[in-house]
This record gives sequence, C-alpha cells and structure tokens, in this order.
Amino acid sequence: MEQAQKTDVIVTAGVTKVYEADGVPVNALNGVDLTIRSGEFTALVGPSGSGKTTFLNIISGLDSPTEGSVWLAGKVLSEMSGNELSDFRRDNIGFVFQAYNLIPVLTVEENVEYIMLLAGVSKAERHDRVIVMLEAVGLEGVADRTPTQLSGGQQQRVAIARAMVSEPQIILADEPTANLDSKTGADLLEMMRHLNVETGMTFIFSTHDPMVMEGATRLITLRDGQIDTDETR
Amino acid sequence: MILKIAFRNTFRQKRRTILTALAMVVGFALLSLTIGLSDGAYGGIIEMFTRNRTGHIQVHREGYLDKPSLYKTIDNPSAVGETIQNTARVEAWTQRVYGAGLGSVGEKSTAVQIVGVDVAREIQATRFDNKVIEGSVLAEIASHEAVIGKGLAKILSAEIGDEIVIVSQGADGSIANDVYKIVGIAESGDDITDRVVCYLHIEDAQELFVLAGRAHEIVVIVSNINWVDKVTSAIETRLNNPTLDVAPWQVVAKSFYRAMKTDQQGDAISRWVIILIVAMGVLNTVLMSVLERTREYGVLKAVGTKPGQIFWLVVWEVVIIALGSICVGALLGVLINYLFSIYGITYPEEITYGGMKFKTMYAEVNIRCLIIPAITVMLSAVIVSLFPAVKAARIMPAKAMRTH
Repeated sequence: MEQAQKTDVIVTAGVTKVYEADGVPVNALNGVDLTIRSGEFTALVGPSGSGKTTFLNIISGLDSPTEGSVWLAGKVLSEMSGNELSDFRRDNIGFVFQAYNLIPVLTVEENVEYIMLLAGVSKAERHDRVIVMLEAVGLEGVADRTPTQLSGGQQQRVAIARAMVSEPQIILADEPTANLDSKTGADLLEMMRHLNVETGMTFIFSTHDPMVMEGATRLITLRDGQIDTDETR
Repeated sequence: MILKIAFRNTFRQKRRTILTALAMVVGFALLSLTIGLSDGAYGGIIEMFTRNRTGHIQVHREGYLDKPSLYKTIDNPSAVGETIQNTARVEAWTQRVYGAGLGSVGEKSTAVQIVGVDVAREIQATRFDNKVIEGSVLAEIASHEAVIGKGLAKILSAEIGDEIVIVSQGADGSIANDVYKIVGIAESGDDITDRVVCYLHIEDAQELFVLAGRAHEIVVIVSNINWVDKVTSAIETRLNNPTLDVAPWQVVAKSFYRAMKTDQQGDAISRWVIILIVAMGVLNTVLMSVLERTREYGVLKAVGTKPGQIFWLVVWEVVIIALGSICVGALLGVLINYLFSIYGITYPEEITYGGMKFKTMYAEVNIRCLIIPAITVMLSAVIVSLFPAVKAARIMPAKAMRTH
C-alpha cells in the first residue's frame, strides 16, 4: 500500500489494538483492513465489545493502533504530532458522539462555531454559517440557549451541526441515535442522509440501531475485532 | 474562546471556586499583614533609632567613623550645616561635639561620655526634649548646665540641682575641667547610653575641649527615610569636600542595620509557610477540577483543540480566580493593615530591640503590602496550575471520553 487512491478517504491496513484490562491483554481489533470511499454512508455494526468504537477512535486519531497503519485523506496518522493531529481532525473530521458531548458553558451558537473559531474563520462568516447550519438541523431560535436547556434530541442536532458546520470530509458518529427516541432518531438519520446526498460528505456510524443499518449504503459487521461481513447496497 | 470557556468554567462549580479563592484571599491577607506588621515594626524601630540617635545621615571629618578622635573635627560646622539645609528634602540638621571624661558628683565618680548639643537644633532634629524625663532641657544659650542619663544619675546618686564636675583633656593638650549644674535627667531608651551620657550645651563642650567653632558630627534629618540614599548623594555633591564623609544611617549604625536585615530575613520563613499552604489548597482544587473535566478535555481535543490551548484553558481558569482573589485580598489586606496601624498589637510586657523599648507594634500600609502578596499569590497559583494543565493537555481523547 504505497498511497491511498484519490477517492479512498480512509484506508486501514492490519490495524490491531490490544488493551490491558486488569493486567490481562484484550484484543479489541485484530488486523482490520478496510477502505472507505468518499460519499459513503457506512454503518459499522456488531455486538458490544466487537471493536466498533475502538475502530472509530483509531481511524480518527483519537487513539493509536498497537499495530498497523491508518491513512486518512491521504495522510498517515501515526506520523503526525499532537498539534498536527488536532489541526487535521479540526479540518477533516466531524464527530457526533452518543452522549452529545457539547461544551456545557457555551451557548448553542458558540458550540457550533467553536471549530470554525479554532480554524480562524472570521466572525461574520462564522455567524452566517451557524445560522444556516442551525436552520438545516431545525434549531432556529435556540442559538442563545445552553445545552442544559435543550432536550436530548436537540442536543444531538447541535452536535451534528457542530460536526458539519466546517464542512469536513468525514463525519464519524458513535451510536448517534442510542439516547434518542425512535422518531427523533429517524428525523436525525433522515437529516444526515440528506446532507450526505447534498454535500457528498462521507458518514461512518457505529450503531446497534436497525433503522440506521437499514438506511446505510454500506454495512460492515465487526466480530471479535475483525471484519465479519462487508455489504454494499 | 479559550478565555471565555475558562471564565465561564469558574462559575460552574461555585463552591470549589469559592474555596480556591478563599485560600488565595486568606493567603493574600495574611501575607499582607505579615509584611505590614514587619515593615511597621522595623520601620518604627528604625525611625525611633534614627530620630532619637543617629539621625538619617551624618557628616564627619574623613575617617572619624572608623576611628573617632577628639581632633577629627569639622571646621565651621554652621556653614556646612547651612549648605546641607539648602539641599532638597532635608528637614533639619544639628551639630554635636563628643568627648570622654571623668564625671564626679560629690564623692562619686565614673567615666562619662560628653555630648555637646546645639539645643534648639537638637530639639528640632532628634526631639531632644522628649528624652528629658525629669527636670528641664538645657537652656538654648550656654549656661553651664548638664542633662545626664538616668543610669548615670543612679551611679552618681545625682539629683536635679546637683553639680557635676567633668575632668578631661582639651584638644590643645591642656587639662579640661569644669563644673555644670544638673538640670535634667534623660532617658534615650538605650540603657548603655544612659549609664554614661552627659549632655552639655555645644558651646560649653567646645569651651571644655578647646574646640571653638568646631564639631565632630553633623546630624541630618530628611523628610522621608526612604529618600536617605538620594539625599546623601545630593549632600555629597553640594558639599564637594573630600575631607568630609557623608554617610547614611545604614553605614553609621552598621551592626544595628545588619541585625534588622537578619531579622527581616527571618520573617521570610513565615511567608513561605503561608505560600505553601495557599499553593497546596490551589493545587488540590485545580487537580480535582481537571479530574472532573477529563471527559470534557477529551472532547475539546477530539474536535480539534490543540494541547497548548487545553493547557492555557486550565491556567487561565486559575489566573482568573487569582485575579479576583487578589482584588478582594487587597481590600482585606489594606483594611487589616490600616486597623493594625491605628490600634497596633500590644505586648503584655515591654520588649527591647536595638536598645529601644516597645510595648505596641504597629502595622504599616504601604505598596509592598499589596505588590508582594499579589505577585506571590499569582505566581504560586500559576506554578501549581502547571502540573494539572500539562496533565490536561496530554490527555488521550479516546481514553478521556471513556471516563464519567
């Protein structure tokens, strides 16, 4: 594997992750080889402990593999310093977490603009993009509220807006509908699918939710830290 | 934005912020009081010492301070004094003649130190009249009167109205002797001095020692003791006389000055103890805060915040609390020092320092009481925040986000 192809946004080769749990080594991932192409709407599924979250963490540079390599947007993650990784994540990856993980002391608007602020986007442009994004996720009129003043579904919408506002190449979502009721989950999934089609962003979900699996254009099943099935629809 | 988050974070856990701030405020106030009391006490001692004895600056014939001699005199001291008086910030000056001799009252005799004083000027400069605890001050014109120390009066069993015979040697080699009427008993606060001192009018002393129109010492009082060094240089320049030495009180009373310095350094230990207590309190709460927000730092890093920005987020939070604490501490410190500068701390018994007696110690309100605690609190807070800040900056996002 000399170089990732142009349309390959994520390429993993022999990715292995071994954790120490109470002094006992646990293989969370066991030599995963995978290529994700731009514009895919991929769901990672599998039982708890199959390595879905670990895989997402490793392909985003939030964690490092014990063995193997990860190419993301043409860059080898293991060759980057802490600051380079931060910049790279800021510019290329949007995160949606199961627990929303908004910054509690910032308002909705400030949460959404935070990444753009780190990237040095001007105040006027930030404001305009935040307004457009909040409208896109159906959160007009709550810009001045803090996360604690929102429902779970609204918080997850803010998280999606935050992930997408800087127009990254890839959105990684870890169980995004797990804490939501089925209607809110369905709405959010529909919204993300719409954004995927409209903008061509690459989405990768880890999920247990049959609704997300159903909506995915590619379904990868992990079992015991290895790819069990890989189905493109 | 990092600053904004840091600022808002300080209001999230109000109780913890208040505890951290309280440690800093109390530390500031204690440091301020320690400095205020130290400066007040030492300032008082120095002021009393210089005002009552040495003055702030002294002028002598070259070499007199190292080896005092009857013959090392200042010629035309009045002219020298007038030149000094014209120097900026000089409040007063006076001239003195010194000599040793044998003093006798009735059948009792002992060694005495004769100090010839310019009465009117000495009162103005060193509050000579306040030293006289019995009888009266010397007349302003030479009248063959003497004021003797309390201890000397006891040794000689002398009383007001008695006559004291002084026998010594004149500057011309002749036997100097004369009789003076004791008009007053003086107490300088220094028992050793009071056991030997005999004050005469300067003209009587000049006549006794055959030193007409000459003096051994010119004492200068400046309007603010903090200006002593500058005024010393100004007097040197004005006099422009290589045969005269101009020395500040720190040189005139070297051993006293050293003792004061050593004592003040001893006070630094108590300051370090206070700093340590403040630092431990701050470290504890900041570490707790970092531990509690581990997940949040992980999220911030995940979305692209650099390790350096996380580091500053933690440091800024402490700096914001420290700034607020310094403002409150400054008000409290000034108030406490102000109260102690008026009411002081009264000891159950009189204490003696540098030959002077004190019963009450007063604080001083000065800029040091604010600047030193402010720098100390800020520096110690920033230093103890470094470890938690580095810890937060090095958090692995994936691991941090697994914590609850």
